[in-house]
Amino acid sequence: MIDFTYTLFIVLIPMAMFLLLGLVGHKMKSFAGVLGTFGLGVSWILSIITAYQYFFVAGKIEGVYQKIIGFNTVWLHLTDKLHIDMGILLDPISVMMLIVVTTVSFMVHLYSIGYMKGERGFERFFAFLSLFTFSMLGLVVATNIFQMYIFWELVGVSSYLLIGFYYQKPSAVAASKKAFIVTRFADLGFLIGILILSFNTKTFDFIALTDVNGAAIATGAGASFLGLSVMTWSLIFVFMGGAGKSAMFPFHIWLPDAMEGPTPVSALIHAATMVVAGVYLVARLFPIYAISAPEGLMVVGYIGCFSSLFAAIIACTQFDIKRVLAYSTLSQIGYMMVGLGVSGYGGHEGLGYMASMFHLFTHAMFKALLFLGAGAIIHAAHSNYMNEMGGLRKYLPITHITFLIACLTISGVPFLSAFFSKDEILTAAYYHNRIIFWVELFVAGLTAFYMFRLYFRIFWNKEPQYHHTPRESPLTMTIPLIFLAIASIFAGYIPFSKFVSSDSVPFESEIELGLAIPSVIVGLLGILIAFVMYKKETSIPDKVAASFRFFYRWAYNKFYFDELYLFVTKKIIFRYISKPVAWFDRYVVDGTMNGISAMTNYMSYQIRGFQSGQLQQYAFVFVSGAIGLALVIMYLLIH
Amino acid sequence: MNILSLFVIIPILTIFALMATKSFKQARVVAAIGMGIQLITAAVLVFWYLHERSAGNTAEMLFYQSHVWFESLNICYTVGVDGIAVAMIALTSIVVFAGIFASWDVEFLTKEFFISLILLSSGVFGFFISLDLFTMFLFYEVAVIPMYLLIGIWGSGPKEYSAMKLTLMLMSGSALLLVGLLGIYFNSAPTGGALTFNILDISKITIPIEAQRFFFPLTFVGFGVLGALFPFHTWSPDGHASAPTAVSMLHAGVLMKLGGYGCFRVAMFLMPEAANEMAWIFIILTTISVVYGAFGAIAQRDLKYINAYSSVSHCGLVLFALLMMNKTAMDGAIIQMVSHGLMTALFFALIGMIYGRTHTRMINEMGGLMKVMPFLAVVYVIAGLASLGLPGLSGFVAEMTIFVGSFQHPDIFHRVCTIIACSSIVITAVYILRVVGILLLGPITNDHYLHLDDAKWYERTSTIALILPIAGIGLAPLWLFNMIGDSLAPIINQLSFIGF
Amino acid sequence: MMDLEKYLLMRHELILTLVTLIILIAELSVKGENSRRIRPFSIILFFIVTAAGFLPLQEGSLFGGMYQTTGLITLMKNILNIGVLIVFIQSYNWLGTEENKSKVSEFFLLILSTLIGMDFMISSGDFLMFYIGLELATIPIASLAAYERTKTKSAEAGIKLILSSALSSGILLYGISMIYGTTGSIYFNEVAEVFTNNNLQILAFIFFFAGMAFKISIVPFHLWTADVYEGAPINVTSYLSVISKGAAVFIFIIVLFTVFRTVIDIWQNVIYITAVLTMTVGNLFAIRQKNLKRFLAFSSISQAGFIFLGIIGGNKLGMASVIYFMLVYIFSNLGAFGVVAAIANKTGKENMDDYNGLYLTNPNLSLLMMLALFSLAGIPPVAGFFGKFFLFTAAAEKGFYILVLIAVLNTIIALYYYLLVVKAMFINKSEHPIERFKSDFYTRLGLLICAAGIIVTGFASVIFEYIRSLSFGI
Repeated sequence: MIDFTYTLFIVLIPMAMFLLLGLVGHKMKSFAGVLGTFGLGVSWILSIITAYQYFFVAGKIEGVYQKIIGFNTVWLHLTDKLHIDMGILLDPISVMMLIVVTTVSFMVHLYSIGYMKGERGFERFFAFLSLFTFSMLGLVVATNIFQMYIFWELVGVSSYLLIGFYYQKPSAVAASKKAFIVTRFADLGFLIGILILSFNTKTFDFIALTDVNGAAIATGAGASFLGLSVMTWSLIFVFMGGAGKSAMFPFHIWLPDAMEGPTPVSALIHAATMVVAGVYLVARLFPIYAISAPEGLMVVGYIGCFSSLFAAIIACTQFDIKRVLAYSTLSQIGYMMVGLGVSGYGGHEGLGYMASMFHLFTHAMFKALLFLGAGAIIHAAHSNYMNEMGGLRKYLPITHITFLIACLTISGVPFLSAFFSKDEILTAAYYHNRIIFWVELFVAGLTAFYMFRLYFRIFWNKEPQYHHTPRESPLTMTIPLIFLAIASIFAGYIPFSKFVSSDSVPFESEIELGLAIPSVIVGLLGILIAFVMYKKETSIPDKVAASFRFFYRWAYNKFYFDELYLFVTKKIIFRYISKPVAWFDRYVVDGTMNGISAMTNYMSYQIRGFQSGQLQQYAFVFVSGAIGLALVIMYLLIH
Repeated sequence: MNILSLFVIIPILTIFALMATKSFKQARVVAAIGMGIQLITAAVLVFWYLHERSAGNTAEMLFYQSHVWFESLNICYTVGVDGIAVAMIALTSIVVFAGIFASWDVEFLTKEFFISLILLSSGVFGFFISLDLFTMFLFYEVAVIPMYLLIGIWGSGPKEYSAMKLTLMLMSGSALLLVGLLGIYFNSAPTGGALTFNILDISKITIPIEAQRFFFPLTFVGFGVLGALFPFHTWSPDGHASAPTAVSMLHAGVLMKLGGYGCFRVAMFLMPEAANEMAWIFIILTTISVVYGAFGAIAQRDLKYINAYSSVSHCGLVLFALLMMNKTAMDGAIIQMVSHGLMTALFFALIGMIYGRTHTRMINEMGGLMKVMPFLAVVYVIAGLASLGLPGLSGFVAEMTIFVGSFQHPDIFHRVCTIIACSSIVITAVYILRVVGILLLGPITNDHYLHLDDAKWYERTSTIALILPIAGIGLAPLWLFNMIGDSLAPIINQLSFIGF
Repeated sequence: MMDLEKYLLMRHELILTLVTLIILIAELSVKGENSRRIRPFSIILFFIVTAAGFLPLQEGSLFGGMYQTTGLITLMKNILNIGVLIVFIQSYNWLGTEENKSKVSEFFLLILSTLIGMDFMISSGDFLMFYIGLELATIPIASLAAYERTKTKSAEAGIKLILSSALSSGILLYGISMIYGTTGSIYFNEVAEVFTNNNLQILAFIFFFAGMAFKISIVPFHLWTADVYEGAPINVTSYLSVISKGAAVFIFIIVLFTVFRTVIDIWQNVIYITAVLTMTVGNLFAIRQKNLKRFLAFSSISQAGFIFLGIIGGNKLGMASVIYFMLVYIFSNLGAFGVVAAIANKTGKENMDDYNGLYLTNPNLSLLMMLALFSLAGIPPVAGFFGKFFLFTAAAEKGFYILVLIAVLNTIIALYYYLLVVKAMFINKSEHPIERFKSDFYTRLGLLICAAGIIVTGFASVIFEYIRSLSFGI
């Protein structure tokens, strides 16, 4: 039995880095970047060691992967039963996430040394990166749902800080604000979910919650509200939080805008790690979902399915390359959600679960690659818009190749990583829910199309006038590209089901050609169309756009969702709630208070007649007062 | 010599010392020294208290001491503290200390300013150490009255109006309170024996329920006015807006806590049956203030108004949690008092410092301050994050404890109210980020701001003195919980018949 | 010689008469400029009187019960003496002015004679003695009110006082006669035995009450107050508003608690009604006053309303709180009047807006004024707070919570207008504020005594406890 306490350092080192760079970073100029990167390198290595020890040495006891508590301490006693702990929980998915987060984060750090060179607030950037990494790691190793919520919030804030990194750019400020508030709103759901869950199960602890034959799962199934069990409601609320972070419909709107942040940030947070937190959350609670709240799982599935389609369509119409990638991220996360949604619990039933984790893993690699590539491209072409690019393959050979690999991977071309993961999701979908299956198959085609639309527009097509010829990026930027390219080629050959499964019992999963072939065909079809339309500059795209103009405009404007949100926030909340509340407070509540004093003054003016200075009147009042009193008293005596 | 009495004596000595000072430089130094000593004494008290507890002293009140004052009415000067009072005293001394430094550059009638400020603080300290209703009430009014001069003389904007309004509304509150206290006093010996003002003694007996039904609302509302209970909160926005920096700090930071503290220490502790009967009314009111205050804050343009409304919301949460009548929620309420006290004091300090530079508090007249005054801006962001409940800062601990605690309530009505109250965390985020976005971020709108300077040393002292405890509570809340410890046990027992 | 000794029971009155005669003779002997010397002379004399008042004195009664004295009554007289002493000290400067120098001794003589009247009134054991004392305590004041004969307002005040007090005395006398008619006695203790609540006796009581209410200026019998207070010289006004009112309150509470104890349920109603009226109307009038003398006059009316809260319970605590409050009230009100007088004598200004920015020029005066006003408003930690608190406690003890609630809400209105003055002095700015001036020794002495009283009387619980030990309830 190995002592896993050292895993604490994986989390703490980035924290230390944050404090260090945050407080004294400005003293140490560019060295800050090196320091941060080094720190993260250490926790990367540590997590690789952890993975090795967990999967191959200590993790498995009689064929079942155990949940190991690496470290745990009580942070806050709430009630005698409920207490918030801070700890480290090691199980297949958390270890897998450790690898993902540290790997991508390390690559991004490395990349940023080159990318952010000479930027104002260089050290601030690295401090925030470390903060983010810390929070993300804390999130994945959480031993209880409340710890997860805590780091969930921290992740949100660090993403807010990073999106708003260029704080003098109004668009960046707006985007960061939007991202925070939208996710915050979703987190409210998460919180309510936690409250209901803990009220019924009297525990926050994941192990207790997800114990298949434990008390937690048994409870809650009974009491029901609007036809669904309390447990289901709580889990749907929890998923709301997940949907927010993972930018699932209808909370997707913040993600595209989040691209205002520096590109490495987009790669790290809004592609590889943070946005999959929602998927991870559902996976973390999967046993409850699967066993005592199947309806909840269904919701997850449909939301994921719809989001993936919806996002893919929008992606086809965008010109800002980062936005295209953002929407493709949405769509891919949709896949993962679908994977969970169509999964059952245990054994081969849990194929979807495994597939979705698998896809999460591979996606992290190739999507990080895509974004970092995009960063390199933007760096070179000084523009975000694909129609201001073209023919870049001559200038950026490495970027070109790696980007191509990424595109092929995401399109599900055989023998690249995503082929395996995506295919298994489709398989799972096929056996559980045909509708979802067909939709996802179509989305696979769309994905291939818009990715290659992007690819051809950037690297082939007509070459515009560049102000100064684009140059390949420095090594610090290309090395991560190459590494990630290799990763996204070979990640697929990991026998994932050996390691990750819904009930932690390894099982065999093999490619079903019957399902693999159509998906591949669809993918190639998409690539082909893109080739025809965008290889050279043709008028086809405009024709197509024109031919179904209405739908095109609709999709181009992201189905007017931002406008809708704008309407709700600006009009409804601000104008129709806050303003009236403020008015009410000033003129009604406060008015009453002032009214009382005004009343008093008024009365004091009304009675001034008494004080006339006329002696005879005084006498009259005097006598009548006496008589009056006497009468009153006699009256009182009679009654 | 009881250590608790020091908390009243030190301010008074400081006041005498201030009277002797000649220049405003001397005055502020003297004030700083006096309150520094106060702060140290508070620290000593905290550690001594924790030591006593860990040494196994389980007395309900520590450092208990009682001198007969008006013998015939059995009025005593009775002092004693439990964990809650200690926490409040610590909070007060920190805020006052920070307040002195925040008002370092007051040059008009400096001496008088600090005298009134410290007189006010002595009232607050006295209130927190008192266990005798009479002395408690006396200190309560001592704490309120200097506010009039402080706002009226050193304030800004429509200061006469605000000062008068604030004073009259708070005194009306204390008027109701007075009747309530007299009612408690004359029912403090239902089975014969000597009447008493001593809280501990009264808590032992049961006040007749029909008396409670009449006096509980009076007492609760009386304190509630100071706790910014809807709809009696309207003194707060105007008052804060007109008050000078240190006063806003002290007022929102500490004085509003007197309300919450009194609500449970007097109203609920001594009249539990009525509290239980009428809780639902006040729960509705407080739920309203939580959400209403937050929404009110969104629509404001003046920084101080925004903060005043957010205080309404946060203090509403305190009363809300108290009325849930279970240990967790009440723990949360105490933490919220401390946390909000520090947080809002920090806010007002910063607002004052920013105003001192830009000479406006209208957010839409400012912008991009992050570039010219990074220190203040960063601290403002931290304060903002604390206020919207970011984990690792005190606000989160308080709110989560409250929400989880309240949601454990067996009654569905309470749980629904809890969920409504929860929604405030989103609204809070909206107005905080709105302010941060407009005020600090973005390009600099006004060229005059380009050559503004960042915080001076005394301003840094003031802000850091407040940030440290905020982060301390946020990162390691357990120590504060241990300090509160079982201090709530007596009142929980009082309310225990509700059944938890 | 034995029976002469027992007349020492009347020590207060005897000494006062003696002093009055001495001053009279002294007045005849000195001429012209020297007449100013009367002032220190009589003040010192009266100081001796006051001091002598505190010498232990046995209880007892004289003239077959017409005159009685107890520890309580002695205490009351002493309180009055203290008040008068302060008034004398405060008047010193004013009496020195050119137009007053010819009639310095009159001031002392008149006041002393009223004081003798009051002492007899308080000590009275039957309605006859009571009435004589009352008249002796009233009529000279009328001439005092008209002291500044050059000023028409002053003369008018004198006329108004004499006429309206004639009316009230008439009513009072009528009431007394009815009491005698229905009970066949004018001795307090005998009347108390047989007094019931048949209509005639109720009427008798009401008339008696009206007469007293006039002195204490209770609504609706208060109307003379404002005009007289405003017209009369400030020092006389302060004497009226504090001493003569105090004396009336003292005897009133004694009579209520002894003579009319059988009909307590009746006078409780009467007092309930009039208390509410007095507090409210007094406050409502006070709000609008810009002239500080008028302002203080009306505020003293509402104060009288508060005093009734102590009386209404008919309990021991009540009497104690009333006497205690009167003591505090003497210090507070004389403090306020003292400041107004000091400023009026220097600058002739007595309007509220003349006081704008006073603190910047005369900090000490404004501080004392604030102290006095806070004491009147019942703000801790000054004595007024304790005074009011005990009054409310006394009422609450008998369960008059609603009345207490009305009263405390009235204190808020009161606080409002007291704060208006504070605002004027501390907050308001002014182009030409009252310039800085240095007060003479006597003014400062007087104010100092008030300040000391305002602060000490509250904290030193022994005072209240002593008063309480002497007082009694029904």
